[in-house]
Amino acid sequence: MLAISNKCRRYIMVLACTLLAACSSVPQLENNVATPIVPVPENNQELGVFSAYNDPWEGFNRRMYYFNAKADEYVLLPIVDGYKAITPDVVETGLSNFFNNLAEISTFINSVLQFKFSVAGETFGRFFVNSTIGMVGLLDVATPLGLVEQNEDFGQTLGFWGVGAGPYLVLPLLGPSSLRDATGLAFDSFADQQVLDIFGMTAEQELYLSLVNSIDARARLPFRYYASGSAFEYEYLKLLYKKYREIQVAR
Amino acid sequence: MRILSVLFILILAGCTSKEANLVEENTPTVCDLDYSRYQATVTGYCQIPAADLPDTLDTINKRITIKPLDEISEVFWFNKQMKYSLVKQEGDAPLIFVIAGTGASFESAKMVSLQKSFFQQGYHVISISSPTFANFIVNSTNTKYMPGDLTHDAKDLYKVMQLVWAQVQAEDEVQASSFSLTGYSLGGAHSAFLALLDEQEQVFNFEKVLLINPPVSLYNSVSILDQYFDLRNNRPAAVAMFDEIFARFSTVYSAQRSSKFDQSSIYSLFKNVELTEAELKLLIGASFRMSSSDMIFAIDVSFNTGAITYKNHKIDKLESLTHSMQRASNITFGDYFDRAMLPRAQQEDPNITKADLITRYSLHQIEDYLKSSEKVFLVTSKDDIILQAGEIDYLKDIFGSRAKIFPRGGHCGNFDRQNFVEYLDTTFQRGTN
Repeated sequence: MLAISNKCRRYIMVLACTLLAACSSVPQLENNVATPIVPVPENNQELGVFSAYNDPWEGFNRRMYYFNAKADEYVLLPIVDGYKAITPDVVETGLSNFFNNLAEISTFINSVLQFKFSVAGETFGRFFVNSTIGMVGLLDVATPLGLVEQNEDFGQTLGFWGVGAGPYLVLPLLGPSSLRDATGLAFDSFADQQVLDIFGMTAEQELYLSLVNSIDARARLPFRYYASGSAFEYEYLKLLYKKYREIQVAR
Repeated sequence: MRILSVLFILILAGCTSKEANLVEENTPTVCDLDYSRYQATVTGYCQIPAADLPDTLDTINKRITIKPLDEISEVFWFNKQMKYSLVKQEGDAPLIFVIAGTGASFESAKMVSLQKSFFQQGYHVISISSPTFANFIVNSTNTKYMPGDLTHDAKDLYKVMQLVWAQVQAEDEVQASSFSLTGYSLGGAHSAFLALLDEQEQVFNFEKVLLINPPVSLYNSVSILDQYFDLRNNRPAAVAMFDEIFARFSTVYSAQRSSKFDQSSIYSLFKNVELTEAELKLLIGASFRMSSSDMIFAIDVSFNTGAITYKNHKIDKLESLTHSMQRASNITFGDYFDRAMLPRAQQEDPNITKADLITRYSLHQIEDYLKSSEKVFLVTSKDDIILQAGEIDYLKDIFGSRAKIFPRGGHCGNFDRQNFVEYLDTTFQRGTN
């Protein structure tokens, strides 16, 4: 199983590199076009936040953004609607709590890796209380007790240790990320998988579990592609993602 | 405040927890921010109690073909068909059309507040995007008049409203006992012009028309907002201040104990960030600038004007638009007025001057009608930021007893507050004819 998935990963890497390099998003101009009347500000510095992040993989990213918008509309959201329709609200909340509780493990690991011991302590407390009194995490009893939920991932850990964000990267289905954060994501999911192995889950069970986890995660995300109606949504989201991660890493 | 709401949605998305549920339970009725007209415009007039409104609505999201879809540019593949929404009562009920403000969609947060109020009042509610919103622009059959030209916007809207009304009758079996109309900000000005048009055409025979926080003069209002984010004369300072605001938000957020976000932590974030008046203005100006960039791009694509895009070039759906966004950051709404709206109007009538046009795109143009029409009401705040000195007195003068001026609330800051909703309730009481 592991060998196959390693091989898969290598193919995916090769494919990704090819795609990243090959796509262009530069306008293909016809012969009779006229240059826009309004010039681009000469000094890039003058643009401030609008030019703060360059986007060397823009061609790939825009294709992926388009793909994600379509996949969301035709695949993910219909599945989410179906899930919401057949699952009673109590079960939905229970599952959300359950997955949140599992995620505490990687939050714990990452806060230790960043020497944030109070965060680690609080997270451990949450995990302990919710896993026991909260019936393996189905109930969130820690929040009313004043143990607040924290958010740390391996992307932030890398950032904490001085790793730059690298180029902006739109991941298939998952959306905005960066080279560093995508790497972090792979690490975190590997760690999660190891934990589930400890609990003695089979590969098949883990697959089902991560499937439900993904549906649950999408169901809780209020974002809708192009709800902004703006042609510049790609740019705005890139800017906000980059800024947001900077803030998180600085935390 | 779209930039902020997008940021918050993103932050919500980042934290894998269930804020959506928590918001309902923990929302405090009031906040303890220091009041200013700018603060009320950004965060809402949260110092006074929130109204008791439904948490959610059974909104039906609708689409309608106005312009043949193959005539819409591929870069707007996601905007093919005009979008609007319907909130329906059981059986026969009065119906109200709500028109959104500058650059806003039928489902903006302010629209949703109004939908809740009117639905609670017993109205069917049909919400329509502003004619300055990209989805409206690219679906409009008009390629002659620039959005913002209130008389022609009203004609365009009136046509859309009739098509939409026919569609909800056919598809949703809506039965209306009467029609009313409202709109906020620019949508308020549109409502005024629509009321007059309806007197002539008599399709809906509106029972009541309410203008909420409208501009008196479009030009005056956008000039105020343009100055808040002055990229023309003072770009380095504006950009530096923008970065500084981001940095302060991030510092305060870092100091918070929890990484989570809900309504009360957003208020406490704002409290701790202690934005100065100049910074609040900058946020308002930046948000307005984003709306006008979107609008200018949509007009450019629809009208082939070539201001920030290559004229005669078909933009592919995967093509980079970064250069257009950067160009758009270089123009103010004032430039749009001088360089796009005025030349268009002069093509029709070479003798027209800028001063003529400023009057034409204002309530002054139809003030005789507004003075005499008993069905048209006005509600605004005395400290609305989009009004110039003297314009409040002008509104009082025109609307007389049909004007309700709240002392506070900034621009559209009180839609979900008790006093505002009470005013709507008394003005729109069912069966008062």
